[in-house]
Amino acid sequence: MTYMKENYRRPEWAFLSASMVLIGVGLLLVVAACTKQPVGESTSTGGSFVYGRPASVTSLDLHKQITSNNAFAIDKIFEPLIAFDSKGVLVDWLSESHAVSPNGLTYTFVLRKGLKFSNGTPVKAQDAVFSLERHLKLGGPLAIKAKVASVTAQDERTLVIVLDTPYTPFITELSNFSNGILPKDFGGVSEEEFFKKPVGTGPFTVKAWDPAGDLTFAKNVKYWQAGKPHLDTLVYKLIQDDSQAINQLKTGEVQGIESVALENAAELAKGGTAKVLTNGSWITEQLFFNTLDKYFSDVHVRRALALSIDRAGLTKAVTFGYAEVARALLPPAIPYHANATVKALDFDLDKAKAELAQSKFPKGFSSKLLIASGSGTRAQEAQIIQAAAKTIGIDLAIEVVELAAFRQRFFAYDFSAMINSGQADSPEANSILAFQTDPQGFSKSYWTHYTNDKVTSLLYAGQGTPDGEKRASIYAELQQILADEVPYVPLYYPSILKAVRSSVEGLVVLPNNSLLFQDVVIKGK
Amino acid sequence: MTKESKRRAARKGGPSPIFIWLRRSLARTIAVVAAVVVAVFFLIRLVPGDAAKMILGEYATDSDIQAMRTRLGLDFPPRDQFLRFLLQVLTSGDTGKSLVYGVSARELIFRRAPLTLLLVGLAAVLAIVAALFLALLAATHKDGPLDHMIRVLPAISLSMPVFWIGLLLILVFSVKLRIFPVGGVKEGLGGLLHGLALPAITVALSQVPSLVRSLRVQILEVLDSDFVVTLRAAGLPSRRILFRHVLRSSAIPAVMLLGVNLAYLMGGTMVIEQVFGLKGIGTLLFAAISNRDLPLIQGIALYCALAVVLVGLLTDVGAGLLDPRTRAKP
Repeated sequence: MTYMKENYRRPEWAFLSASMVLIGVGLLLVVAACTKQPVGESTSTGGSFVYGRPASVTSLDLHKQITSNNAFAIDKIFEPLIAFDSKGVLVDWLSESHAVSPNGLTYTFVLRKGLKFSNGTPVKAQDAVFSLERHLKLGGPLAIKAKVASVTAQDERTLVIVLDTPYTPFITELSNFSNGILPKDFGGVSEEEFFKKPVGTGPFTVKAWDPAGDLTFAKNVKYWQAGKPHLDTLVYKLIQDDSQAINQLKTGEVQGIESVALENAAELAKGGTAKVLTNGSWITEQLFFNTLDKYFSDVHVRRALALSIDRAGLTKAVTFGYAEVARALLPPAIPYHANATVKALDFDLDKAKAELAQSKFPKGFSSKLLIASGSGTRAQEAQIIQAAAKTIGIDLAIEVVELAAFRQRFFAYDFSAMINSGQADSPEANSILAFQTDPQGFSKSYWTHYTNDKVTSLLYAGQGTPDGEKRASIYAELQQILADEVPYVPLYYPSILKAVRSSVEGLVVLPNNSLLFQDVVIKGK
Repeated sequence: MTKESKRRAARKGGPSPIFIWLRRSLARTIAVVAAVVVAVFFLIRLVPGDAAKMILGEYATDSDIQAMRTRLGLDFPPRDQFLRFLLQVLTSGDTGKSLVYGVSARELIFRRAPLTLLLVGLAAVLAIVAALFLALLAATHKDGPLDHMIRVLPAISLSMPVFWIGLLLILVFSVKLRIFPVGGVKEGLGGLLHGLALPAITVALSQVPSLVRSLRVQILEVLDSDFVVTLRAAGLPSRRILFRHVLRSSAIPAVMLLGVNLAYLMGGTMVIEQVFGLKGIGTLLFAAISNRDLPLIQGIALYCALAVVLVGLLTDVGAGLLDPRTRAKP
């Protein structure tokens, strides 16, 4: 047998090996030659911007959507009468001007002159009436909460909305993407057909769309901002994997990515080929207490735990500098925030122990801290809070469950404490406060079941009070009560992070996590 | 029934043993498919709590949840739900409309399937070629350093997770050397092959170790067999013996082995699609799971299971026809 094996080691093996190597190298070269890799970006304005996103656009019906994957595509096609800028300040958008009657019941909007939909038809007040009435009729996940008595077109450019009762957040809520303007009667096509190839006033139109894949926008040549957008096309490329997205950004296969984990931001910013854009967000990361729980129904327990947490240390440890320490519920990007003025229960171990001594459980107790799996940041936060609680005698076991089970648990108040975040839909204090303080509301004070009649009355008073000092004092008082009774401990306000190629200029990051692309230009190398 | 009585039955015009064997293989496959359909149906019930609530998330109102329950058919008693599901699968080959994309799950799967099948095909070809080459090399250098190296190196690659190998290849060949794209495929055949080259190599690498081990043993058996000794004695050049006879005899078991490993190959492909950002069945499945798109998850599970079962059947039949010794005992 040795003879046989020896024979096979002769030149035929050299031939076989050489053939295999040649075939392999040849295949590599052929395949590599087939498609050239990008070596740089477009050298002028125009061109295409490819934006990597972790979820595809599944629907463009603005009145039926809430999630960001759809919202931030819808807002490129449809625009509202009023919008907010990068600082969250309201500005007239499709309206040239607007006025609110002194009694806060009548809102009058005058449309810009020469406004056109992307198909060239003029935009009239009747289109705005149709759009808002459809939204009022459908409700949807971002329903208009004001009690609207009528929406009428006074003439082709003037829209009048009358409310039954004053509702100050109304004007801000109109800035939601869900209040964009579409052509009356869908421009004469069926509803289904319209939302497959929608027509709006936004900077882009739909060129090609795979609801389970990519969406390609084309420039709206009729856009009302003269000369904009500068890009010819904008591609929303589905990249579900984070590291895949980062690598595609590094090699220039995409010009920007939507989802940047806090821990990756510093590395991306250092590389030179990419830069990280940030903005303040409308999000507050929080530790929530179930106020129906045996232990956390005791306000002294909640206060003791709040005092035991070093929020500045926690923020520094888990956010890599891309967050601001939170002391009050409203993020600084929202009007009437009180982060600097509220008297919060700042880190003080002696006070924490003294507070626990006043509770029904002065010797401490054991409980559980619920978090959803899949977030390293949340896991780190939980460990820091667990260690803090231990210093005052509270033994918190961390319970990690899958996201679906996590939601199921807190919907059913089946938790003692949990880490989650609250987010505003628009630059309006009521957006977060109503969700987190109204025990009769849909979210039952963010499922903490926190009930305080004074807080509820302040909430409703804030909704009916015009903007100004009085409204500011209402929200200051409300936030102080929350800081004292801590149904939830605000931990930090995370920044919005977007990563783009260094050659990208003019991209505007909005505080709701969306982007304005109309000013984007890609500089040549 | 003894062998003799079977032969007698065959002579009398009864069904031949091959026919009986084929019939039994088919019956086994149908039983597996039925079990798969039942398992896929009960997938929806494995979701903790109310499936409708889980799908809609924390902002859903009671009426939304009720509408979703109706849409999923959860209002009916379990038996009726199963019958409706069975009827739908049998009549249209569909598991319902995707909750997220609003189109038939079957349509979505069929749209994404070609890319996945091409990737599986490419990976299979690469795996067979590489495994045959290495196994031949190892077998003809039995117990030599080369043999030991070939036996050890694949074992190392076997111990590395396939997604990690993928990431490593991306870093080297895409990010550093810029030979291949980081992810996705471009238009045209060139763009397609260019985009699929690294993923196919990654998937193939995960299959090569087990193939090499099995093939090496088989090739050694062939090299030891009487017909090779006879050919050698007849004075045939060893190159001819190797390529004409040994390779041919070994290629069939290699394909059969790959057929058996198809489930692993498909599983690996699903993960690799995610790593390389390919829009195939794998990424569709990941998206469906994170969106809790149950009809689509059911559809993908059903079609993947069917593909594995069918290829398994074809492999069994092919192996049985080519080599009667491999036919399973009734």
